[in-house]
Amino acid sequence: MKKKILAVILVLGMLTALLAGCGGKSETPEKRAEANAIAIGIAQDLDDSLDPHVAVAAGTKEVMFNVFEGLVKPTSDGNLVPAVASDVSVEDGGLTYVFTLRQGVKFHNGKTVEMQDVLFSIRRCAGMLDDGSEPLMPALTVISDIQGEGDKLTITLSEPNLEFLAYMTLAILPADYDQQATAPVGTGPFKFVSRTAQDSVVLERFDDYWGTPAKLQKVTFKIIEEDSGLVRGLQSGALDLVSHMTSTQISQLDKNAFHVEEGSMNLVQALYLNNSAPPFDNVLVRQALCYAIDKQGIIDMAFDGYGIPLGTSMFPSFAKYYDDSLTDFYPHDVAKAKELLRQAGYPDGFEMTITVPSNYQPHVDTAQVIVEQLKEVGVTATIVPVEWSSWLSDVYGKSEFQSTITGLTSDNMTARKLLERFNTQAGNNFTKYDSAEYDALFAKAISAADDAEQTAIYRQMERQLTENAANVYIQDMADLVVVRNGVQGLTFYPLYVLDVSTLYWDK
Amino acid sequence: MKYALKRIFMLVLTMVIVSFLTFLAFELISGDPAEAMLGTEATPERLAALREELGLNRPFLVRYASWLAGFVSGDLGVSLRYRQPVWDLIAPKLEITLCLCLASFVLITAVSIPLAIWSYRWTGTVFEAVRTAFNQLCMAVPPFFTGILMTYLFGIVLRLFVPGDFPDLHTRFGEAMVHLFFAAVCLGIPRTAMTVRMMRSTVISEMQKAYVRTAISRGNDRHAVLTRHVLKNSLTSAITFLGQTMAELIGGSVVVEQVFGIPGLGRLLVYSISTRDYPVVQTVVVILAFWVVLAGTLADLINQQVDPRLRLGGAA
Amino acid sequence: MKKKTINGYLLVGLIITGVLLLTALVGTFYTPFDPNAMNAAEKFQAPTLTHIFGTDNFGRDIFSRVIKGSGTTMAIALATVAIGAVLGTLIGAVTGYFGGVVDEALMRLNDALTAFPSILLALLVISIVGPGNKYNVVLALGIVFIPSFARVTRTAFAGLRDVNYITSARLMGAKNGRIMLLHMLPNTARVLLPAITIGFNNAVLAEASMSFLGIGVTPPDASLGYLLSEAQDKLSRAPWYALCTGGVIALLVFGAGLIGEGLQKMDREVA
Repeated sequence: MKKKILAVILVLGMLTALLAGCGGKSETPEKRAEANAIAIGIAQDLDDSLDPHVAVAAGTKEVMFNVFEGLVKPTSDGNLVPAVASDVSVEDGGLTYVFTLRQGVKFHNGKTVEMQDVLFSIRRCAGMLDDGSEPLMPALTVISDIQGEGDKLTITLSEPNLEFLAYMTLAILPADYDQQATAPVGTGPFKFVSRTAQDSVVLERFDDYWGTPAKLQKVTFKIIEEDSGLVRGLQSGALDLVSHMTSTQISQLDKNAFHVEEGSMNLVQALYLNNSAPPFDNVLVRQALCYAIDKQGIIDMAFDGYGIPLGTSMFPSFAKYYDDSLTDFYPHDVAKAKELLRQAGYPDGFEMTITVPSNYQPHVDTAQVIVEQLKEVGVTATIVPVEWSSWLSDVYGKSEFQSTITGLTSDNMTARKLLERFNTQAGNNFTKYDSAEYDALFAKAISAADDAEQTAIYRQMERQLTENAANVYIQDMADLVVVRNGVQGLTFYPLYVLDVSTLYWDK
Repeated sequence: MKYALKRIFMLVLTMVIVSFLTFLAFELISGDPAEAMLGTEATPERLAALREELGLNRPFLVRYASWLAGFVSGDLGVSLRYRQPVWDLIAPKLEITLCLCLASFVLITAVSIPLAIWSYRWTGTVFEAVRTAFNQLCMAVPPFFTGILMTYLFGIVLRLFVPGDFPDLHTRFGEAMVHLFFAAVCLGIPRTAMTVRMMRSTVISEMQKAYVRTAISRGNDRHAVLTRHVLKNSLTSAITFLGQTMAELIGGSVVVEQVFGIPGLGRLLVYSISTRDYPVVQTVVVILAFWVVLAGTLADLINQQVDPRLRLGGAA
Repeated sequence: MKKKTINGYLLVGLIITGVLLLTALVGTFYTPFDPNAMNAAEKFQAPTLTHIFGTDNFGRDIFSRVIKGSGTTMAIALATVAIGAVLGTLIGAVTGYFGGVVDEALMRLNDALTAFPSILLALLVISIVGPGNKYNVVLALGIVFIPSFARVTRTAFAGLRDVNYITSARLMGAKNGRIMLLHMLPNTARVLLPAITIGFNNAVLAEASMSFLGIGVTPPDASLGYLLSEAQDKLSRAPWYALCTGGVIALLVFGAGLIGEGLQKMDREVA
């Protein structure tokens, strides 16, 4: 009997060796460098419609940024440059926008971009198609008229809007193509090849691209949801680049094989408070929390010092709107916090809950540090981890929460996107911030006639949020990107995107 | 024939029950597909429009009936998230998970049965204590922990496979099988230990029965009694247990698929539940029900061959 | 000679479990450090005499956290097994003893429950009891464990149904409930005991997987499973974290397993 078992084990062992031997050697970084290809690990599956007008997930937009372009496109320093249009002019103080289409821009399916494609794309987002569908981008309802003649596109707005150009980054799609959701076609430097759910997304260089061609031939995005899986993928040679890593993950990697590039995530991480329910309907309590929570302490404790402390709903990449003086508006001051709590009628503190989406460890870590910090002022906080879908439904949708930790981003280069949600009219005002003063400022800002005035009002709004302690602002999290040595050319944007067109192997 | 019909009826019934329960669960848990899809871009207007588009505004029973009607006519629906037909999404993953589970099952069976008999012969020796301790230890280590250690040792140190890069099952079959082999071992270790333990205690209690004592006292060789009679009699419970193992392997594969980076059905299921992609979940759950009933049926059929008493509509 | 080995398993198992249980009990009153107190200066310290299990990414003392966590885990696992075993045995006994339509119906439901994803069940329970409630873990896991117990008991009861002494008892006019409880149940101990120890084992691990998916216990209060899931993405940075928590989980399950083994042997000895 013993012999039999031994035999079984031996056979199994041999089988393994045989299988290992007969299967051709798998992909290695060296082979990829030779083939001018790269493998990038992402934690978030592209489980969305791939149609850029419909897709909402930040992770999907991050990748598909390489496939699509608008009339204009964002640059890494936060400006907009012409793309499918070759020229833009703004007339009548922001009432009329005239675009000149670039000649010979091709779609990935080989067709040339025509005026009808541009008209279709914009009308589709603005809800101006004949099929009576809802606007996909509600902000575009300001368009009163849109005309295309020859290569000139004229868009007239119902009221002047200085931020309109930022919306013209919307992807230009072929008018007569109905497979966008699963096999998208755009005009960007990379074309979409395939998507395998929970496995990979493959892009390939588009050789007929109008602009600077991409350097890499093929980019594979590997989907690995598990945190330690990304680390192992880098160690095993399956991956060459992973962004949004934590300092703990990075400390596990071989320093001779990888280097780390630091950017910022461009999001506002905060302890968002439900301003409509006690105790956070009291401004004194909110301010007390701001004094009690030590932002730098959180960054040092949970993020090894990586991250930029924030004091309001704006981050430094939007330099024009960012007001650094608000960051230390509430310095860490336990005595002051206790005093405010006493004034508010909570001399012995109170109990509260922090609802946290459990799928994102950095937020959970932040919550754990906050719980400890709040103990010092007598506030007992309990963490309630919930699943992401429940968070979206209960916290974000129904405002059934006391406080929550999340990071809010902007997917275009406007301050409006970040600030509009605290206006009482906004459908996504989940913190139920309610200030007549703020609403008035917002109304003034969106109809401002010149850029300087608008910027000034936006800054005023930021200050208003800070002074009223709408939320306990924490930080703009650091974006730590691990790159295999030999891979060069990573560029950071003030948006949540990963531009692979500038990456290359330095052989 | 009557038996077959009964089995098929049971199969269909289980599938209907489980699909209904799943549908009901989705109705009750917080968060609906539209909210999950729009994420932080959600506004009341967009939610309303999307719910309308997805048909989520219809009453619960109407939606279930329409899903069931579609399913029966072979239309599994379209994934809400990936906008792809559900079957196209599931088929490649089903293939991988089946390979994983079958490999694991073969390993469990091939290792546990001989091991159980072999270990019986150690009864009363020092080896028995060592074996029992080892067996208990195998059951005590969490699979995802074993998995992480295995990926580290075989993947990163020995480089026998590449964690994070699962080879395509069709074009790189050999490599894929190596990758699956390690995952199958990880999945199988605790189950093997349980099977050994379970079989051993059955053999021991069988050995205490009167007929064995009689056989041995009449001068039969202990070993012969063991293999010829005892084994046969304890086989039914082992087969039932193995059937159950087969049914539960798919459930256990979730964690292993995650650790080894295998794009399988278990991972898809967990993910689709969290994104409320119910057309996908419904189909996966029905496949699971099919699998569970099939495993039970196979175990029963084999048992009836082994133990004729059961053919008379007895216990199993 | 034989008797000695029997007591050996039980003894070792009892000692291990006893020590762990005692530590967990003491842990409810006293731990060397505050298990949740953070210390930026002491992040990721390898085991030393002060921190015998080292510290984690917040500089918390892992030993204290493990002590606290093992209490939570034991409580959850015991409660889970209790729910699963009681209800499962009940269902299995009834179906196995009576057979027929009840048997068919319950077994179909049982199959359906086996195929029903446990995560979905957990989410369902959470939606009903509300998130952040420690008992939802117990309830969800308890339900998950019913089918396996039901199956085991059912087979055992069905096997005993037509045994002579049961038939005799029935002929003597004994009530069905009495037969099941007094005559059959003790005789199924042989299969039930290992099922319970395996169940305990699975409950500890299942709680870990639930924490892994983020729907288990609430941080910063930890269970062993939660600690292990926290430790696993820091494996090469702080191997002691995963090894210590994984080790304690293994020890806990190991001790319970040995007790099961010992009890089984003793039962055999009596028989």
